[in-house]
Amino acid sequence: MRASDIVSLAGEALRRHRLRTGLSLLAVAIGATAVLLLTALGDAAKHYVIDQFAAMGTNLVVVVPGRVETSGFGAAALGGTRDLTLGDAEDIRRRARAVREVTPFSLGAAPAEYEQRHRDVYVMGTTSAYAKVRHLSLSAGQFLPAGDPRRGEPVVVLGSKLRHELFGSENPLGRSLRLADARFRVIGVLEAKGQSLGIDFDDLALVPVAAGMRLFNQSSLHRIMIQAPDEASIPATIRQVRAILVERHKAEDFTLVTQDAMLQSFRSIINALTLALAAIAAISLAVAGIGIMNVMLVSVSERGREIGLLKALGGQARQILSLFLAEALLLSGAGAVCGLLLGTLLLQAASRIWRELPLAPNPFWAAAILIFALCAGALFGMIPARRAARLPAAESLRGRR
Amino acid sequence: MNAASEAGHLSAKPELIQLENVSRLYRVGETEVRALDGVSLHIHQGDFIALMGPSGSGKSTLLNVIGCLDPPTSGVYRLDGEEVQALSEKRLAEIRQKKIGFIFQSYHLVPRMTALRNVELPLILAGVDPKERRERAKAALEPLGMGPRAEHRPDQLSGGECQRVAIARAMVERPSILLADEPTGNLDSKTGEEIITLIEALNRTGLTIVLVTHDPRIAAHAGRLLYMRDGRLLSDAPPAQAAYPAAPAPP
Repeated sequence: MRASDIVSLAGEALRRHRLRTGLSLLAVAIGATAVLLLTALGDAAKHYVIDQFAAMGTNLVVVVPGRVETSGFGAAALGGTRDLTLGDAEDIRRRARAVREVTPFSLGAAPAEYEQRHRDVYVMGTTSAYAKVRHLSLSAGQFLPAGDPRRGEPVVVLGSKLRHELFGSENPLGRSLRLADARFRVIGVLEAKGQSLGIDFDDLALVPVAAGMRLFNQSSLHRIMIQAPDEASIPATIRQVRAILVERHKAEDFTLVTQDAMLQSFRSIINALTLALAAIAAISLAVAGIGIMNVMLVSVSERGREIGLLKALGGQARQILSLFLAEALLLSGAGAVCGLLLGTLLLQAASRIWRELPLAPNPFWAAAILIFALCAGALFGMIPARRAARLPAAESLRGRR
Repeated sequence: MNAASEAGHLSAKPELIQLENVSRLYRVGETEVRALDGVSLHIHQGDFIALMGPSGSGKSTLLNVIGCLDPPTSGVYRLDGEEVQALSEKRLAEIRQKKIGFIFQSYHLVPRMTALRNVELPLILAGVDPKERRERAKAALEPLGMGPRAEHRPDQLSGGECQRVAIARAMVERPSILLADEPTGNLDSKTGEEIITLIEALNRTGLTIVLVTHDPRIAAHAGRLLYMRDGRLLSDAPPAQAAYPAAPAPP
């Protein structure tokens, strides 16, 4: 029997029961749509995180105080942790060669106050290099002054939202506002940038690092961010920074985190989540496969006489098996294709609503869905198809229907 | 091929079908049913045999055994020199395809297919090229007067027309045996007479025919009348001389 005839005979049989066929298709389609949507969501989350990291700046190495290791959670407590100081940052800037920018920063929360208007804000203490590393640009005034980071002049750069909350339509440049107990003169306003890795740059006050530490009575920096000249020199950067800090601290009581390592761990977390979501959605596809089996079993018992006839006309058991298997595969394959089309349409609609999420069907997953659906169809179609092929010809011909 | 309706010359023809002491047992729950009980029968090429007997006498089982649809439980069945009981399922399907045509009381047409496609069905199973099988199916419908109705579906055809389509389907592979299971059972007597006339004409071209019927008038067209009861052959004679003059035994 020709393959094209197997397909057209199977198709004719399916078309006879439009409702039954339609419902089976729907079940498979829903499963396929679910897998496609969930995997697209996982992909979108991954791209979102990658974009966020890219916005953070490139080729970054971050020094975090304290030893963060998976082994020995008490190590830092036992050895004692020395503060990460401006001196450390200065030494790295002067002595490490594989370094383009070094920018230390401190972080604290304080009430900001201007003429009866209050707002609780994050205050970041940093240096002029921070604007370069994080690609910050100004809508008015200037960024923090260059020069000795220990000076800590009482000046502040405001995020765009904070500026509107405190000053409204008034020009804030040159005005004085109060952060906790200290007065700061506004010298610049950031352009709107939005959230980036948990920091809302629009609702932030930036002050010189020494002023920031003084404000919160801190002895240690929050982080030191180091930008390597290029990706290839990141290992050298890490080596040099580690050597300098070990020499200064007499111990490795700090942790160096590369942007790449952070990105990798996020990526693997999201990949695992996507896979888990896809597996859950795939269950619905498998259930649809069982639905196909059920429909096919009914169909086999209804079509006993037809099966007997095919045998009387010289049909081999193998051919009858192929015919019923083809029906199961047509159902699952067509259902999966419908589901993929539906999913693609839904994703297009969704990406129009949530523009910041890059929602798009993933061709790899689309192929996997199709293959999975066909496998489920073949697996669950095999049982009814074998039953059909094994029906004794004489008895099925005599069957009631 | 020569016509062969005179019983006297039958032995001159080659023996197509030989059954030696063939039995067929069915197991229904705990009890065994002997549908065929030691049947021995020789059929020559070109024979026209009518098979009569009450319901449950084993007529249909005998027909199915001859048609290689139902394997004998014991005994020897030789078809065209081949011992059927020893053959594989695959070979049996080939024999059904090439040597045997079936027609049934309820026609067994596939309702979703046109008459033409129903006739094409055996050729589709045989993997014949679409163009060629269309031609052959049309050629099979034409002499039965069904050419103009080729594109109709069974529900648009009368009973007699359906049976003509079924005959075309049975003949499209040019078999040597036509097995007919009460082909006129669902038809009025006039239409039944038309169908039996067609079958007679096929027999005159050399086709071997075994026909199950309840109707003595139909059986009268045959060259040999076999009468069965309880799985056994009780008589085998020309219809006019039948020892059991076809007691009509409606189901």
